[in-house]
Amino acid sequence: MRRSAFRRSLTLFWWLMVAFLYLPLGVIVLYSFNAANSAAYFAGFSLRWYERLLGNDQLLTALGNTLVLGVASSVIALVIGTLIGYGMYRHRRRKLGWLIALIYLPIVMPDIVFGISEMAFFITLDREFGVLGPSLATMIIAHVTFQIPFVALIVYSRFVGLDPTLFEAAKDLYASPFQRARHFLLPTLKPSLVAAFFLAFTLSVDDFVISFFTAGPENATLPIYIWGAIRRGVSPEINAIATLMILSVAIAAVISLLFNKESRRN
Amino acid sequence: MTPTTMTVAVALAIGAIACAGSAQAQQAEKLYLFNWTEYMDPEIIEAFEAEYDVEVVQSYFNSLPEMTAKLNAGGVSQYDIIVPSGYYVPRLIQSGLVQKLDKSKIPNLDNLMPEFADPAFDPGAEYSVAYQWGISGIVYDTETFPDAPKSWSLLFDPEVTGNQPFSLMGDGQVSMGAACAYLGAGYDCNDPESWKAAARLLLATKHRNTFSGFTDGTPTLQQIQRGVIRAGLTYNGDYLQQKEENPEAFETIDFMVPEEGTEMWVDSMMIPAQAPHPELAHEFINFILDAKIGAQLSNYIYYASPNQAAVPELDPVLTQPPVLPTDEDRANLAFTPSLDGQNLQIFQQLWTEVQSR
Amino acid sequence: MADSPYPLAPYSHSLSPDTRHLLWSVAPGVVWIVIFLVLPSLYLISVAFMTNGPYGQPQMPLSLASFRQLAGFGFLGWSPGNLYTLLRSLWQTLVATGLVVLIAYPIAYHISTCRRQWRAIMLLAVVVPSWTNQVIRAFGWMNLLSPGTPISQVAQFFGFIGPNMGLYPSNFAVTLGLMYNFLPFMVLPLYAAFEKLDTGLVEAARDLYASPLRAFWHAVFPQTLPGLLAGTVLVSIPAFGMYVIPELLGGGRAMMLGNLVASQFSGGSNWPLGAAGALIMLLATLGGLYAMRKVGKRLGGGEEVVI
Repeated sequence: MRRSAFRRSLTLFWWLMVAFLYLPLGVIVLYSFNAANSAAYFAGFSLRWYERLLGNDQLLTALGNTLVLGVASSVIALVIGTLIGYGMYRHRRRKLGWLIALIYLPIVMPDIVFGISEMAFFITLDREFGVLGPSLATMIIAHVTFQIPFVALIVYSRFVGLDPTLFEAAKDLYASPFQRARHFLLPTLKPSLVAAFFLAFTLSVDDFVISFFTAGPENATLPIYIWGAIRRGVSPEINAIATLMILSVAIAAVISLLFNKESRRN
Repeated sequence: MTPTTMTVAVALAIGAIACAGSAQAQQAEKLYLFNWTEYMDPEIIEAFEAEYDVEVVQSYFNSLPEMTAKLNAGGVSQYDIIVPSGYYVPRLIQSGLVQKLDKSKIPNLDNLMPEFADPAFDPGAEYSVAYQWGISGIVYDTETFPDAPKSWSLLFDPEVTGNQPFSLMGDGQVSMGAACAYLGAGYDCNDPESWKAAARLLLATKHRNTFSGFTDGTPTLQQIQRGVIRAGLTYNGDYLQQKEENPEAFETIDFMVPEEGTEMWVDSMMIPAQAPHPELAHEFINFILDAKIGAQLSNYIYYASPNQAAVPELDPVLTQPPVLPTDEDRANLAFTPSLDGQNLQIFQQLWTEVQSR
Repeated sequence: MADSPYPLAPYSHSLSPDTRHLLWSVAPGVVWIVIFLVLPSLYLISVAFMTNGPYGQPQMPLSLASFRQLAGFGFLGWSPGNLYTLLRSLWQTLVATGLVVLIAYPIAYHISTCRRQWRAIMLLAVVVPSWTNQVIRAFGWMNLLSPGTPISQVAQFFGFIGPNMGLYPSNFAVTLGLMYNFLPFMVLPLYAAFEKLDTGLVEAARDLYASPLRAFWHAVFPQTLPGLLAGTVLVSIPAFGMYVIPELLGGGRAMMLGNLVASQFSGGSNWPLGAAGALIMLLATLGGLYAMRKVGKRLGGGEEVVI
């Protein structure tokens, strides 16, 4: 008896937490269809804020920047991170503490320290040597830096889940490392690579602080645009853009999950 | 792919980024305009683009500290035109962030009213050309405050504000000036002792329950529309512009010039020291100074024009309060003092203190 | 260990092929992180020891002036502003982390006891909100807590806030925002710990100890400690350096260290002072990483604690 009461209260607590987690997002979605410019009441269903988005050039530019930044950085991070993940696995019996610490550094370091140190570094490089002034390139570099660890960890955990004898078999089967990579490693890794790419892409689209501090004048991304719009004053258009972003992140999340699941199942 | 091939791929990718970076810099003619938010008529931009066959890229800031930060963060070589207020002009000149203007390329300079041709913050107007001018004052809800005094006490005296939410200006110099004015030292107070008293007042004020934050001028208007605050600090032109756009919401919202005095500012066009397109920037300044364009600009953004030649074309609303203050109010207006050296550092320390505690 | 952390080594022919293989595969990543993160951090640290120029740019000579300033000593004698900021950051971190632990424990336990096919979906449900942008999430709370919204009206009714006021902007909104932001970072490692829980031990404990609380304390808690520790590091370090949430939800009375640092690089323009503040956060980061490795090893979880 007591035990089931305990279980029931746990279930209740779970649903309360789900409400807590989704309420702020739900409110954004709800008010994006609000006919009135108000956070206090809902005046009826309307698509006017979405219509306004369509004619907004700045927003479309920001969308373009976000996509270019996300794809470019994810591709680079995918290559570099996969190599690290592979190296970590192949040499997992060695003492790799320094490598693990280095990989966790970008994950644990507070965004603001990350962003500001890169900003100060790039600005100084630009001033002293005329290279790497804040631009899309500096943003890509910064994003790759925080994406690498996540890719590496996903790939590493995929390898850990494999039967070690497979590697021996592949060694017997294919003579050159190139053949091994092509016929064994890449096919095995494929689902993890897709999952890692989408995770990296999501991380890039989500980032605000680091983008904000490394961006040049022409490189506003969607989060930077939204931040500016909030600072300018709360406009209901923000609800509409935010809703679209929530939607696309949810889709990317599901894709990443599906591929990651598939990679485990294989 | 072997690890080595992958390394090569990474090297190629890095090379691609570097090329992307440099290619971006060599594209066709663009004018990079770094301006306050809500401070330009899009049709003027279109007209300029059509006439000079260029593209104008606009970026925006909400406050002068924000602008300076972006300028320091590489903006000095990326923007062609910036539009700072007078009191930031000397520090931009002294820190080498802006370049001297070539007045021979700006024949329309003759259109300026004489009082703007030789401003105190830039003697001889060697670096700056007036864009618009305006006033920072109190915006408040007349329903909440039917008998609002024409005074800073609406914000600084707890008795007068009562239990209504209010905000102060995000730019420290304006909020400090307002506190100075309320304390009787004048808006343009410029000595550490008055600042200290003002900082104490600001601290006491911000710890009152109904203080909602230090908010920049344009967002303040959004917040008062949405009922987040009932009184705050904003600019006269932005107030009119918003009111025009949304008359119902602004039915009971009014703007006033406190009689203890407040800020009058002149925003000026300047060219950053390493602007990528200085020639085009001069053309742009000249374009804005055109009589017709000058009038179109003021008619759109509801600020007072420094352009004498534009006056005949101005809408009537621009020739009366709150755009043009009454003579009585005008006597109470002052420029925000321009700070440098030790004074600047003392001020910044006090302002950080106000924000932190 | 013969190989150095710096991948110059592959050029040396005295290394074994195995070591060369390791270095080649991790070299691009290591070089990337060292150049684009370690080096910038070192540069930032060096800025903290420079002098503030007239318009906020770092200058020689080296000095400790920025640390004196951070401690509150300036032109006007000592003042406590920066210490307030520091203490506020610590306090907010402490409160938010504590609350997150209190919520995450039952949640993680609950997920681990549900049927296997539900678990992945439940975990996803916890994680997905944190995959949307943090600016958007803070904006959601602005919508919810503004004056006049139902939540604010309830708070008014109970007298938590005055009439006409909202729960946003306030220090409370910042705490809430921090909790919201970091909850998943605590749930995930705790869930991992619960999943590995030795249930036999728990059953034995239930027989051994009279109260469930004692059973929890003696049998369950020690086993979840590695997860708790990992979660605490993942929550408290980024919370301590948070910038967006106090900026958007705080309303001028909630400045935290991250905001102080950012403002010194923007409006306040005092790079060395900002860098000194960042140095504190950097030390906290390294301290957290170190503590996690040390305690993680002692508890036997090894490197996989966080993964």
